[in-house]
Amino acid sequence: MREQERQLRALFVDLRTRESRREELSPYVTRVFLGGRGIGAWVMGSCPTVHPLDPDAPLVFSTGLLTGSRVPSSSRMVVSAFSPLTGTVCSASVGGRLGLSMRRSGIDLIRVAGRAEGPVVLVIDDGRVGFEQGDIPADEPLSGVFGRLEGAGWSAAAVGRAAFQGCRYASVMVDGAFASGRGGLGLVMASKNLRALRVRGTGTAKAVDPEGEEKARTDILRLFDASPAIMGASGLRHFGTSALVDLMASRRMMPTANFRRTYFPGYRSFCASAIREQEAPKRYACPGCPIACKGKGRAGIPEFETLSHFGALNENADLGAIIEANRICNEAGFDTITAASTIACLAEIRGVRYAGRELVDKVREIASLTGDGPLLQLGSAELARRMGRPELSMSVKALEMPAYDPRGAYGMALAYGTSTRGACHLRAYPVSHEILRKPVATDRFSFSGKARIIKISEDLNAVIDSLGACKFAFFGASLEEYAKGFSSVTGIEADTQDLLSFGNTISSLERHINSLRGFRREHDLLPERFFTEPGSSGAGIEVPPIDRKAFEEALDRYYRIRGCSPDGTFPQDKAREIQSCMSR
Amino acid sequence: MHEQVARYLGKLQRHGLIEGPGDAALYGLDDEILTNAGRVPGTMRELFALLNINSLIIARPGPLFRYVIGHLCLREPGLICPRDCESLTFIHDIPVVESLDPRRTAQALNRRKGCIVGGELVVTTGTVSLEQAFISLSSILFATFVKFFADALNGLHGYGEPVPRGMLDALPGLLARAEPRSSAEPLPERAPEGEDEILRAMDQAGKAVVNARLVDSFFGNISYRDGGAVYISQTGSSLDELPGYIDRVPLDGSSTCGITSSSELTAHVKTYELTGDNAILHGHPRFSVIMSMFGHPLPFGDRRSIGGVPVVSGEVGAGARGLVHTLPEAMREFHGAIVSGHGAFASCTGSFREAFTRLMDMETLCYRTCCALVREKLG
Ligand code: SF4
Repeated sequence: MREQERQLRALFVDLRTRESRREELSPYVTRVFLGGRGIGAWVMGSCPTVHPLDPDAPLVFSTGLLTGSRVPSSSRMVVSAFSPLTGTVCSASVGGRLGLSMRRSGIDLIRVAGRAEGPVVLVIDDGRVGFEQGDIPADEPLSGVFGRLEGAGWSAAAVGRAAFQGCRYASVMVDGAFASGRGGLGLVMASKNLRALRVRGTGTAKAVDPEGEEKARTDILRLFDASPAIMGASGLRHFGTSALVDLMASRRMMPTANFRRTYFPGYRSFCASAIREQEAPKRYACPGCPIACKGKGRAGIPEFETLSHFGALNENADLGAIIEANRICNEAGFDTITAASTIACLAEIRGVRYAGRELVDKVREIASLTGDGPLLQLGSAELARRMGRPELSMSVKALEMPAYDPRGAYGMALAYGTSTRGACHLRAYPVSHEILRKPVATDRFSFSGKARIIKISEDLNAVIDSLGACKFAFFGASLEEYAKGFSSVTGIEADTQDLLSFGNTISSLERHINSLRGFRREHDLLPERFFTEPGSSGAGIEVPPIDRKAFEEALDRYYRIRGCSPDGTFPQDKAREIQSCMSR
Repeated sequence: MHEQVARYLGKLQRHGLIEGPGDAALYGLDDEILTNAGRVPGTMRELFALLNINSLIIARPGPLFRYVIGHLCLREPGLICPRDCESLTFIHDIPVVESLDPRRTAQALNRRKGCIVGGELVVTTGTVSLEQAFISLSSILFATFVKFFADALNGLHGYGEPVPRGMLDALPGLLARAEPRSSAEPLPERAPEGEDEILRAMDQAGKAVVNARLVDSFFGNISYRDGGAVYISQTGSSLDELPGYIDRVPLDGSSTCGITSSSELTAHVKTYELTGDNAILHGHPRFSVIMSMFGHPLPFGDRRSIGGVPVVSGEVGAGARGLVHTLPEAMREFHGAIVSGHGAFASCTGSFREAFTRLMDMETLCYRTCCALVREKLG
């Protein structure tokens, strides 16, 4: 270890006793788990079979080792817990200033356990830990809650009404506009009676090698400028993720009518140019990010997945309704992807369509727990099971699929299956090469080579999520440049391959924890629909059903490459090896 | 994977990067390693075990490249630092290792996408497909070629480190072997009409640019304006394999499908606005780039000329120092320009024919100017 090497600083909080303890994590744990998602997995690994809502189940807020540095687009943080929606290990990366505030107050990770007697707010003021009464009305909209919590120099995470009502996909909202959305982490937070976390930090974060940090920064910014997806005229810088609407429609992989089709003719009503025309959004950014992909018009501008799912998935061409649905989700604090998908599932079961006002009403019912709300707040897997149509939940491991139809991108299909938190596009992010041609294009209608690509990409994205970096940065830059930044900022010598091997440890640990929780190969399969029903062919693009045999063979190859047995779990010796990584 | 191996081996030969099929071994790995090399040597297995990759190429480039690389390895042992802007952006620098020792080679490849081994082999990798390894290989050969001649020319004329005797002696012979191709088939004169013809014309022009070695297939870009829309090659597309990889981008901003278009889309659009032209070709002709790096570095915003062809500075893309701010204005007068350390652009009205001829002429001019500058000092 170099003398100046950074070590992660942890704060352990017991809400029951209101006691807290600080600890500097060992150089080994710091180096291998890196912060963010990695350190979240490390914490979960210490109690792998606990029930998500057990008072002793951990809830972790963690920054990455790059958070607070000058390395561009790396101020994100991660919330981790066991998911009450899926039962898997779960973490969700989130933007905003909270990660930076934690870092500036000298804390990289907060592990919360126990259940407070009444609602509390955990307060960290430049490292000093305190508690405030959390007697904010449970049904207060989150914009009001953040109005109370924020203020000069303060950042906050909070849960809303949905979490206190038991919504299985309640989110943790950060700084009002950013969501740690997937998997119901907000419900875990509410189960601990933790109403909010407020942090203020005034310290500085200096790199061990500022010159190297600057060089990495320059290299990365140059690559951002050279990336059409980032800084190009149609890129994220100008349109945010809504830029993807036209593209997904033109590739005929926009999930429509609960994935019965893959093309929605009404997509032009919620594409980027329609949003620009009707909402004239102003762009804003997470700290230290020149991309500024976030948009705000009269209300917050929904992300691509939200646009597509409250739009095409529900056959709704009313942009106003999409924006209102998104606003309600954010005010009550629940995941837009799962909400939209669960409504689409219910609509298919009932043979109806919820669009426009009716769609907004359904979203409102989730928020207020009226009408179909009690059913819808269970998520699509449980809803469909209770209604006797389990095959109509478009989910893997009970997490609903985002807005990339797997019949239009086979790497995505495999990645939905193997992702450790359920159907998630971000764990391997094959959209990057299958659609956006970065780092190079791959054939989206082929499984050839995809097993290894997905394995490597899962490891890469585990690193990205653990460092506090943003995935969008990797539409331009690569781990090569970020590895240089990492070593300069932390003093920890690690090249691309070292980081990828840490990513492998993190991804494998997550899979191992899931297997201890009973997850097997059958949980890595896609809903039947994708193997039997074609998508919407047209414009010269054929969208057949996925060849089940080819999918299963790719899954077999993936297991071999990851070191798993054919049932998706690790053989004993490999499991022991993974376990030993926790404390070596 | 087999198909990818065959495809990129063919490309290496067609692009003149290697002499024969025996000069490159390509490896692709999903759950087992596939190769054109017959069997997989232990060294390669060890390399794959040490690296998180799915593809690797090890190539013995053609003799001219080998000479250039060998020489640079002597001058900059350990690490070759290219100066052209494309290489600075995408490959940064090129590690050099002495032998194909798996550990040493893996160490170098842990840092960068490719390295030079033993002064004559180039090894490159990819994590997604063989295409990455192919692109890195082609980039390294381009970077070293440009660096060698640019350093020699600048050294000879007192703008850089003095040039060693051996390099000077070899220079005229090397230049003679590097003469640009001149017998390119002319492109049709008639302007394309309708989408099908435009796409066909772009395909033809792309192939012509690659065949004339005015670009190494995956670099450069090409566009055609038709009324309110621009047809442009997608980012990272291979100019000799364009069908299916061209975006139609409406100029009224009504669609964001251009998110996959070339990074130079904005520069193309601005050039159309200022020139009134409707066809643009952008390549990386080697001597155009070499000559644009001759003399003191060109400050951003300044301009000079090579035989009347404007040379401007500017980085890839639309950033604050991007070529979008300098190139279009330069194109206005000459309908052709060189971006220092990057590449050449040519535009015209009607079909691609005139732009292609201009790009060829610019490269020939730069080559001849380079030869004259060498003769001036060496006689
Ligand atoms: S690209 Fe967007 S999400 Fe990523 S760091 Fe920047 S502003 Fe935040």
